Amino acid sequence: MKWYIFKRLLWAGVATMVVLTITFVLMYLTPDTRIMELEFQAAQSGTDPEQARQAAETARGMDQAFHIQYIDFMQNMLSFNWGWSDSRSEPVIDALASAIPYSMMYGVPAVIISTIIGIVIGLYSAVNQYTRGDYVATFVAFFGISIPNFWFAIILLVIFGTWLGWVDLLFDTQASKIDGEWALRAIVSWENVKQLILPMFVLMTASVASMMRYTRAEALEYVESDFIKTAKAKGVSERTIVAKHIFRPASIPIATILVGDILGIVFVGSYLIEVVFGIPGLGYLSFDAIMSQDTALVFGTVFVPVFVAIIGNLAQDIAYVILDPRIKYGDR
Amino acid sequence: MSKQPSQTIGTDESTRSSNSLLSVSDLCTYFQTDEGVVKAVDGVSFDVQSGETVAIVGESGSGKTVTSESITRLFKSPPGFIPEGSIEFDGEEVNDMTVEELRTLRGGRVSHIFQNPQGALNPVYTIGWQLREAIELHQEVTKKEANEKAIELLTQVGIPEASARLGDYPHQLSGGMKQRVMIAIALACEPDLLIADEPTTALDVTIQAQILKLLKSLQEERDMAILFITHDLGVVAEVADRVVVMYAGKVMERGPVMEIFETPSHPYTRALLECLPSKGNLGGIPGSLPSPIDPPDGCRFASRCVFAQDECLEGPQPPAYEAGTADHVVSCIHYEPGGNPDIVLKSDATVSALDVDQMGVGGENR
Amino acid sequence: MSVDTDPTTQSANVRKDADSVTFEDVNWDEIDGTARGFTRTRIAWYAIMGTYLLALLNDLFNRFAEGAYQRTVAFITDTSRYQVETPGFIPGAGPAEYPLVGEIGGVTWLWSLTLLVGVFYVAIPLYQNQRMTAYYWREFKKNKAAVISLIYLAIIFAIGLTVPRFMDPPEVEPVLAYQPPVWGSVRETVPIQCVGPVSGGECHGSWAHPFGTTHQGKDILISIVYGMEISMQVGLIGMFLTILIATTVGLTAAYFGGYVDEILFRYVDIQITFPTFFLYLLVVYLVGGSLFVMIIIFGVLGWGGIARIVRSEALQRREEEYIMAAKNAGAGGLWTMRRHLLPNVSNSVITAATLVIPGLILAEAALAFLGLGDPRLPSWGETIADGRSDLDRAWWISTIPGVFLFMTILAFNFLGDALRDALDPRQGGGE
Ligand SMILES: Nc1ncnc2c1ncn2[C@@H]1O[C@H](COP(=O)(O)OP(=O)(O)OP(=O)(O)O)[C@@H](O)[C@H]1O
Ligand code: SF4
Ligand SMILES: [Mg+2]
Repeated sequence: MKWYIFKRLLWAGVATMVVLTITFVLMYLTPDTRIMELEFQAAQSGTDPEQARQAAETARGMDQAFHIQYIDFMQNMLSFNWGWSDSRSEPVIDALASAIPYSMMYGVPAVIISTIIGIVIGLYSAVNQYTRGDYVATFVAFFGISIPNFWFAIILLVIFGTWLGWVDLLFDTQASKIDGEWALRAIVSWENVKQLILPMFVLMTASVASMMRYTRAEALEYVESDFIKTAKAKGVSERTIVAKHIFRPASIPIATILVGDILGIVFVGSYLIEVVFGIPGLGYLSFDAIMSQDTALVFGTVFVPVFVAIIGNLAQDIAYVILDPRIKYGDR
Repeated sequence: MSKQPSQTIGTDESTRSSNSLLSVSDLCTYFQTDEGVVKAVDGVSFDVQSGETVAIVGESGSGKTVTSESITRLFKSPPGFIPEGSIEFDGEEVNDMTVEELRTLRGGRVSHIFQNPQGALNPVYTIGWQLREAIELHQEVTKKEANEKAIELLTQVGIPEASARLGDYPHQLSGGMKQRVMIAIALACEPDLLIADEPTTALDVTIQAQILKLLKSLQEERDMAILFITHDLGVVAEVADRVVVMYAGKVMERGPVMEIFETPSHPYTRALLECLPSKGNLGGIPGSLPSPIDPPDGCRFASRCVFAQDECLEGPQPPAYEAGTADHVVSCIHYEPGGNPDIVLKSDATVSALDVDQMGVGGENR
Repeated sequence: MSVDTDPTTQSANVRKDADSVTFEDVNWDEIDGTARGFTRTRIAWYAIMGTYLLALLNDLFNRFAEGAYQRTVAFITDTSRYQVETPGFIPGAGPAEYPLVGEIGGVTWLWSLTLLVGVFYVAIPLYQNQRMTAYYWREFKKNKAAVISLIYLAIIFAIGLTVPRFMDPPEVEPVLAYQPPVWGSVRETVPIQCVGPVSGGECHGSWAHPFGTTHQGKDILISIVYGMEISMQVGLIGMFLTILIATTVGLTAAYFGGYVDEILFRYVDIQITFPTFFLYLLVVYLVGGSLFVMIIIFGVLGWGGIARIVRSEALQRREEEYIMAAKNAGAGGLWTMRRHLLPNVSNSVITAATLVIPGLILAEAALAFLGLGDPRLPSWGETIADGRSDLDRAWWISTIPGVFLFMTILAFNFLGDALRDALDPRQGGGE
């Protein structure tokens, strides 16, 4: 088991390096729009665009040899020195640090709540397969999986913001803070919670739906299994059968989707949702960076979900070994 | 033997004592499916007395498992349901029991072991946990007592160093060991009736013998009745006191084991015995089971029966006629009062004499 | 000692029968005709593919012979359809002009290839093997939602494929901005000039613009119709490329095993770890988001999961005897893969690939919504984004195209689910 975990860790490291390398190559190969901008400006003001470009490249270390740039880049990345955000005039890391709490503020509760709801509905659906409740749940799940969440967010804003006037169209960034500082009291204040309800709801539609579908499929593997019959024959109650005999074995693959798919859904979902609701979280930051062609910040904001995905994958594989007694990776 | 007093009854109460441990009458268990209603069990009657072993035999798909699972309503429901029939356990009607009462019955007074020990234990719990669960469900015990009881049970079913094995997961045990654990779980609450659904089919021959021996000795110790389901007539001869022969959801013949083997009376039973490897007919009975959704009129066995006559193709399945003793009944028109059972009994005609072409019809055009 | 007579019960018989008519058994022979010589279908296929290739080469040659850079841009951004002059377009040989269709851009080339493959590998085999088609149809018909989905998608597909051929793309017309949809109304002050009737200070919609117009005065109905083709292009071309790459990689890995397998699937491991949407986002950001580029990116980066399915299915079958026999008979690697491995994995691939489509359509819409797409293309995501800043004034701009987007994704999801049940009984039931 230790050996397996070690190997897995090593692989995560390799994956990280590969991702960073690909990124570097992409960056190296694509023309830098800011330099093109400088060249253009130089040409407009009558100076030599070529000179301006060289000056800019020297300033950014881009006149160095490929491998030196590469090593520099890797070192910077691994030491969390992710460059300078031109549009925000602060280090990328700082920009990320100020944005992430906004995303977590509604993302974390949304993940927790949707996991619980998704699992409960999924188990219900599996145990009551082909009943009306199951059909309704399945249909709603299809709805949740299919609805484009950025559009759903817009619809809700139109209904609850424009028509009913229950929520503000503009997000109040200070509602979660007291005197500009994050404060738990402010985060859970009604004023703040109120503006988070819709984003959380939209975010949860997709994740509840996938969680539910997946739980149902996994639980169905066991609902008809022989050991459930054994449990029934022992006289175990229906509820205990679901909780102990079906959910426990199904929880192993479910844990997998939790870190894999749900995390992905939440990251993508929150990205678009933040743009619609104007929540200054990671997604909005990234969107802003794209709009203002702030490449360093774009990369920074994309790295966060990528690294979370790599770590999530790692965690999921390790969780598998720990949770499933059947898997024994040679402990040599 | 030619003319005996017979009963023409569906429920044939008179042949059965009312103080049986288990008394199944006219049981029907159907399944609602997309293709139609599957009549897996379609009017089955038999009794089990305390302490005795009754074997249900019949080829695959004849409804043995569904019958046995109907006793404590273990089959999946929906789609399964019992449209009619009665199951009395120790004088109480199981069909009228509440879910709560049923749960006390299951694992308490009636236990099950299943065909495939591989999947019958929950893979993510230790066998100790699964044994304790069974014990704690029906008995007021502390955790320590439950543990001791679990070790005692494992020892009884012949698992060496029982205390060390409590922490094992099912995948760490062999098939035979798993079946022993299953038996231990089934015995946890000293049941009055043990339902064993092909407990040895999935095991290899030497282990089979051991498990059978174990079951027999446990039965003697505890004076427990066993309902033994199998399609292996060799096993029947070894363990059973009485035999129920099932075909296509119906009982074809029922009687004491000696009579069934010595004077097999129903054409189906005779065909089954003919197909024992020792008799040399290895091909089996030509043809196959009729459709369980839309069973043909008349005798279910008619399409494969050498003695079939026109009247076999009409009306319901022939009722249970007595053959010889009151305890031995046969569902075949030749045993009708006034009929001539010798047509069957004295005949040399066996499956080997069957015209395969003619007989194959029933099996093929479906 | 067993008295089992015939374990093959009725239902097993039925299933066996059904198994013997599967997609794969029937159509492959007819299409490539290896076993039966040249069939008419096969000749037609080669003729059409030959013409296609010649035309494509001609186009590429004309474009790249002179003024390569701009022409590449024109190819990639497919300017022809929207008559947008690329600034600084160098006169010269220019892209080839074809009879009837005129100039053809990159997306159109891919689109026509996809449609041709669809006709020859799906439509014709379904038509030629009526027994098989009838069987699948019976299975499929059980799922009402899927049947409705199929009808809906067929309509969207047909409209998207035909109407843009003779209708001009939506035009910017600022005076016509903010017309409400025909059944709605809006304060008189919102549109500059109300096309429909005005009463009680409200501007009502008119049939001139049934779904209203955007802030630029673009007609939303026309945008939606154009968006139909774009979404179908994204979904179907994306699926085609995905299947192509996934089966190639999966089969290669399964057939050769060893290092080939190890390297290919180590790569797949990494690709799968990477959250696809952010990968698309990054590449589109760096390379630019013309429809052509997006579709290529979707095709090139999203095949990992299906390649895994192909590989594991093919591995299960690789050891099977007939492959061995084929190998012994001296069959080449490619031939073996094509004739034996591919047909056996096609059902699960079709199912998985159908479920890829909604993801791609959604991704394109999301990227367009974020402003990363080609602003000239009236894709649904683009139109939704157009109305985002006007939610309080003109709710219809964002909401109406979204309805189509939502329904299309829903329909593909239902369809994929039903196909899985119909084509792949092993995975069916539960899901
Ligand atoms: N859940 C179910 N839904 C539909 N049909 C069922 C279901 N369970 C059992 N059946 C049908 O009931 C019939 C009897 O099955 P059963 O399992 O009782 O046979 P069996 O005699 O135990 O056979 P075997 O020797 O193979 O165990 C079969 O035709 C089977 O298809
Ligand atoms: S009733 Fe007729 S068909 Fe049935 S077993 Fe007797 S003789 Fe054969
Ligand atoms: Mg059985």
